[in-house]
Amino acid sequence: MDFDFTDDQISLRDAVRRYVDKDYGFEQRRAIVKAGGFSRAVWDGLAGLGLTALAVPEAHGGLGFGPVEAMVVMEELGRGLVMEPYAQGALVAPAVLAQSDAGAQAQWLPRIAGGEALVVLAHQERRARYRLDVCDTLATADHRLSGLKSVVPAGDQADAFIVPARAGGTGAGIALYLVAKDAPGVALRGYPLHDGSRAAELTLKDTPATLLAGPDRGLAVLEHAVDIAIAAQAAEAVGAMDRFVALTAEYMNTRKQFGVAIASFQALRHRMADIKMQLELARSMSYFATLKLAEPADARRRAVSQAKVQLGQAMRFVGQQCTQLHGGIGVTDEYIGSHYFKRLTVMEMQYGDSLHHLGEVSRRMQDTAGVFA
Amino acid sequence: MDLNFTPEEQAFRAHIRQWVAEHLPKDISHKVHNALRLNKDDLQRWARLLGKQGWHGWAWPKQFGGPGWNAVQRHLFEEECALAGAPRVVPFGPVMVAPVIMAFGSREQQERHLPGIMSGDVWWSQGYSEPGSGSDLASVKTRAERRGDKYIVNGQKTWTTLGQYGDWIFCLVRTDASVKPQAGISFLLIDMKSPGVTVRPIIMLDGEHEVNEVFFDNVEVPAENLVGEENKGWTYAKYLLAHERTNIADVNRAKRELERLKRIAKAEGVYEDPRFRDQIALLEVDIVALEMMVLRVLSAESSGKQSLDVAGLLKIRGSEIQQRYTELMMLAAGPYATPFIHEAMEAGWQGDHVGAAHCAPLASHYFNYRKTTIYGGSNEVQRNIVAQTVLG
Repeated sequence: MDFDFTDDQISLRDAVRRYVDKDYGFEQRRAIVKAGGFSRAVWDGLAGLGLTALAVPEAHGGLGFGPVEAMVVMEELGRGLVMEPYAQGALVAPAVLAQSDAGAQAQWLPRIAGGEALVVLAHQERRARYRLDVCDTLATADHRLSGLKSVVPAGDQADAFIVPARAGGTGAGIALYLVAKDAPGVALRGYPLHDGSRAAELTLKDTPATLLAGPDRGLAVLEHAVDIAIAAQAAEAVGAMDRFVALTAEYMNTRKQFGVAIASFQALRHRMADIKMQLELARSMSYFATLKLAEPADARRRAVSQAKVQLGQAMRFVGQQCTQLHGGIGVTDEYIGSHYFKRLTVMEMQYGDSLHHLGEVSRRMQDTAGVFA
Repeated sequence: MDLNFTPEEQAFRAHIRQWVAEHLPKDISHKVHNALRLNKDDLQRWARLLGKQGWHGWAWPKQFGGPGWNAVQRHLFEEECALAGAPRVVPFGPVMVAPVIMAFGSREQQERHLPGIMSGDVWWSQGYSEPGSGSDLASVKTRAERRGDKYIVNGQKTWTTLGQYGDWIFCLVRTDASVKPQAGISFLLIDMKSPGVTVRPIIMLDGEHEVNEVFFDNVEVPAENLVGEENKGWTYAKYLLAHERTNIADVNRAKRELERLKRIAKAEGVYEDPRFRDQIALLEVDIVALEMMVLRVLSAESSGKQSLDVAGLLKIRGSEIQQRYTELMMLAAGPYATPFIHEAMEAGWQGDHVGAAHCAPLASHYFNYRKTTIYGGSNEVQRNIVAQTVLG
């Protein structure tokens, strides 16, 4: 039992932090938001640091690092409010591809590692809400897909999509396919999200695709992929909350009312204590989710849902209360704080909110509980 | 980073588990698992069993007769005891006064007091709070005047937990009223059999005699019972508080009680009610998060690589969780939690229960546990401490 980071992990953290501080300042980020919410130059920058190779196996030109390194990177990206879908493109896509056949791996993994290809998961559907087993997109026997996927991260900027579809029609099992952006029948409608990042509606009409995981295991691979995304997002949220809390503490010690710094008022100090509580509980559960990713599916899913319940509550509380403690400036666009608030809010509604995952924890509850239960 | 205990730590855990299984009397664990009333004999029998093994002071270093365990080993010991249904060790001797005597006491005090604490033979009480000094502990007024080789003590302590059994009491007393409050306090060990010491029960809202008032009327205390230096008592008291570490969160017991909550909820038919079940699920998440926070602190303590300033958070969260599980158990029993039959909390009571036997102690525990957010520095005081770490 050990929660220290290795020297290499600390070096990795420092490298990402330096990059974010230098190339992802508030004004630079504002320019990216204005330009649509995705910057290929930033993606190239992340690739230049080797970060897109992080989770790709060494055999395919990657670094073959594990979940803890991913967590270290995500925390720093969260701290800097980086909008480019790193978790999707560099953590989730390689994990799914690593479970597909050798041809797909050889075709895509080296390009993901090098940053040339951005591959994202397109699983959200209108009728599904947060359920992964609800899927109306259909695939024919010769792998031609028809359906509509929503809120696909950086959808109109991505090079390919991992798409769940029912293999062989309604009622059949869910398989995972890879769809190239330029395949026939692909239509994309891009739009910004409230946090400034970019997403798209993806329409598929008889679109040819490559099978990645058949209907016998497609759902299991999808669940694993989403668990990786949730653990990564937990770390991102911790980074964002940590920074937002620090900004708030700084503000409270600077802002004067009634002749004194507002940090001297006990009502506000106690609010900050409650915020700190949520932050540290969230950090604890971020570690928990990451360290449980290698467990068998049942234990992994339960742990990740437990983490997302805690993270969802923390993101909402910290976001709302840090905004409140800033007073009027907290609800302006010009102040960076509101951008943390919006990012934290959007994240709760990705991959299942607190209520959804509370339902999962409730459904999966065992007679015993605890980290080692 | 690794969530798993090492093979050595797992072997240590197995060793403790086996020992506890062999030595913890079944009648005691039955009471603990069913929240029945524990008496002095139950507590002292367990203390002496631990003492015989050299574990009553399980956090003590070897030089004072302890096992010399590290932070992780101590945690594993506490967890195995809690899960097996051992009573919580009464902390005033082995956890509170002993470390102060080790750090600041004279060799004579160490030789005189530590063996009796380790063996479980001498029962210690805590003399901190006073009617006018709760969270504001530095305002204590109980006076100790030096006369020759004695102190003459006058005043009153209160909330003295299990003081009715006490052989000795460690007290914060005022030895100098002319300086600022913190600078005039001394740490005194007082034999409770001394003439002039009176213990009066305070009956709490659950009808139980758990705490007391202790009066000192011209009590003569040999000057050799002063720990460390006169007027340095506040420093020692703070050292004691810092020593409480992670077991203040009591997460191990929370895990055991969560299991009991689930058993009760099943028996009462609310486990499958989604509204109730979700509340249990939420508590389960809270307990996992608390356990992770405790483990982070243990890891930081063991490696010394990072400092984690979260003692206040552990106290707040741990006590809130304790209150929550007692609350949910009571709500699970519903109307069957309301009868107040004092004898029904005794093991082996042969009377007629109203509803299931497990319902009898639930409301009493709920009422009793309101103390957890009040004692040990109220949660509001803890929030002041936490805020200090963030805001300066």
